[in-house]
Amino acid sequence: MPAWKKIREFVAEAAVKASGLASIFIVALIFYFLLREGIGLFQAYRLPDFLAGKNWYPISDPPEFGILPLIFGTLLVTLGAAAISVPLGVAAAIYIAEVAPSRLKEFLKSGVELLAAIPSVVLGFIGMVTVVPWIKTAFGVPTGLTALAGSVILAFMAMPTIVSIAEDAIHSVPKNYKEGAYALGATKWQTIYRVVIPAASSGIVAAVMLGIGRVVGETMAVMMVTGNSASMWRGILFPVRTLTATVAAEMGETVQGSEHYFALFAIGVALFLMTFVINMTADMVLHRKRK
Amino acid sequence: MSAAARLPDGQGSPVIQTKGLDLFYGNFQALKGVDLSITEKKITAIIGPSGCGKSTLLRVFNRMNDLVEGARVTGSVRLDGKEIYAPGTDLLLLRKKVGMVFQRPNPFPLSILENVVFGLKIHHMYRKKRGILYEMARKSLESVLLWDDLKDKLGRLATNLSLEQQQKLCIARLLVVKPEVLLMDEPCSALDPMSTSRIEELMQELKKNYTIVIVTHNMQQAARVSDEAGYMLLGELVEFGRTHAIFTAPRDKRTEDYVTGRLG
Ligand SMILES: Nc1ncnc2c1ncn2[C@@H]1O[C@H](COP(=O)(O)OP(=O)(O)OP(=O)(O)O)[C@@H](O)[C@H]1O
Ligand SMILES: [Mg+2]
Repeated sequence: MPAWKKIREFVAEAAVKASGLASIFIVALIFYFLLREGIGLFQAYRLPDFLAGKNWYPISDPPEFGILPLIFGTLLVTLGAAAISVPLGVAAAIYIAEVAPSRLKEFLKSGVELLAAIPSVVLGFIGMVTVVPWIKTAFGVPTGLTALAGSVILAFMAMPTIVSIAEDAIHSVPKNYKEGAYALGATKWQTIYRVVIPAASSGIVAAVMLGIGRVVGETMAVMMVTGNSASMWRGILFPVRTLTATVAAEMGETVQGSEHYFALFAIGVALFLMTFVINMTADMVLHRKRK
Repeated sequence: MSAAARLPDGQGSPVIQTKGLDLFYGNFQALKGVDLSITEKKITAIIGPSGCGKSTLLRVFNRMNDLVEGARVTGSVRLDGKEIYAPGTDLLLLRKKVGMVFQRPNPFPLSILENVVFGLKIHHMYRKKRGILYEMARKSLESVLLWDDLKDKLGRLATNLSLEQQQKLCIARLLVVKPEVLLMDEPCSALDPMSTSRIEELMQELKKNYTIVIVTHNMQQAARVSDEAGYMLLGELVEFGRTHAIFTAPRDKRTEDYVTGRLG
């Protein structure tokens, strides 16, 4: 091999390696930075009070930084979104992969991709002018800015991920499984729910986890429709505030280096860990399948 | 039909009979005027070069060709005297009566037990009584000689079994719904010689209770296991009769060329 070729090989390999390492390094750096700033809070404030405190009063005197209501808000909105998007998304994936005629299939797939392309502010805005007033009148509540509104909007955001990954998993179920079921006299529906779905189950679970993982960290749309009241559990038809919305709404008002400032970073750490765990779980489920 | 084709004169009543059977994939004619008669509780082998239409013929008998877009069948195909392509035929019932084993073993990615009882569940063939599924699974695993090996592993994933065990499991999965006919499309082509001979033994055992049609590339196998045989070429059933006659005294020149050519 001539020298210049060797050099070219070396440079290409090094470049690929460097960009791979860089992405890991950057993630580590972000986490380090979050942690460093977040830990500042616990010089004066106790960790149990932070995690289990029922009040988020960052500007009272003395301030309280209990994130329990925020965790509640996040869980409520996210679980609500899951309850809406998982059945719909999985059903849509099954329909696209197994039932729809091929022309409609292509059309629906591009539709789903289009949904994924809508910016979250736009979704939030649409939610504000449609979902929020609808909830107000349909349920007769004083305000439509509720956890439910957040769930509906987030469900729309989780759906494209769930549909496209689950559709992929269902589509890649080997044809001979289906043939075996048909040859035994199974109907199309029996084949789908007794063979195809179990065969694709780990892919479907991963799709759900990634879809949810995507919306846990969502901020903009949620902030616009949930009413942002940091109160403890009252129900899906009341205003709530999520972890993300809290950081986004309050970061601009804090003094750098203040306790409040550190508390917001601590929230960031909590969020980071939450999404990390969700994504890791999804990854593990996917990989278990591959083996 | 080709002049040489004739119905075998052996004893036993016919289970499947075709007359003037044509099959088209779009404009391509894959089966041309096939006349044959499959005898009850015998093993009938279909042999012939690749692409001659063996699988296609087999898939006529359980109407699996219905799944192929553009496939069209004309002529008469009777199972127990009834036209299976007549309108109003219960396709699910037909496939329950006429089971199929595939070239590549295809157990479902479920537990061994779930695989065996699959047919019972989809055909609602069991009463909700404790232990009944297990009992029926035991019987059918016993009849494919798998019970002793697998009785303690019924919860394991079927797709992790050896290929031979998978193929036997696929047979057990059919037996549980009490079919009449077993269609086997090159059931041993994914297996090693030892496994192949054990499956062949099993076929001899199954023949006591079931009518078997086997497609095979392997002429020695056809000669070993079958009672009757048909030789296909380019969609035509060139010759059909007693296996012994086909291999020792073929009536058609084309059969003779194939049989002697392959056997050396
Ligand atoms: N779905 C299909 N659409 C169009 N043509 C097909 C289809 N399936 C099979 N054919 C054609 O029909 C003919 C018979 O195919 P078939 O699979 O029945 O042959 P075979 O004898 O089983 O061959 P092999 O020994 O390779 O399995 C072949 O020429 C094949 O190309
Ligand atoms: Mg074939």
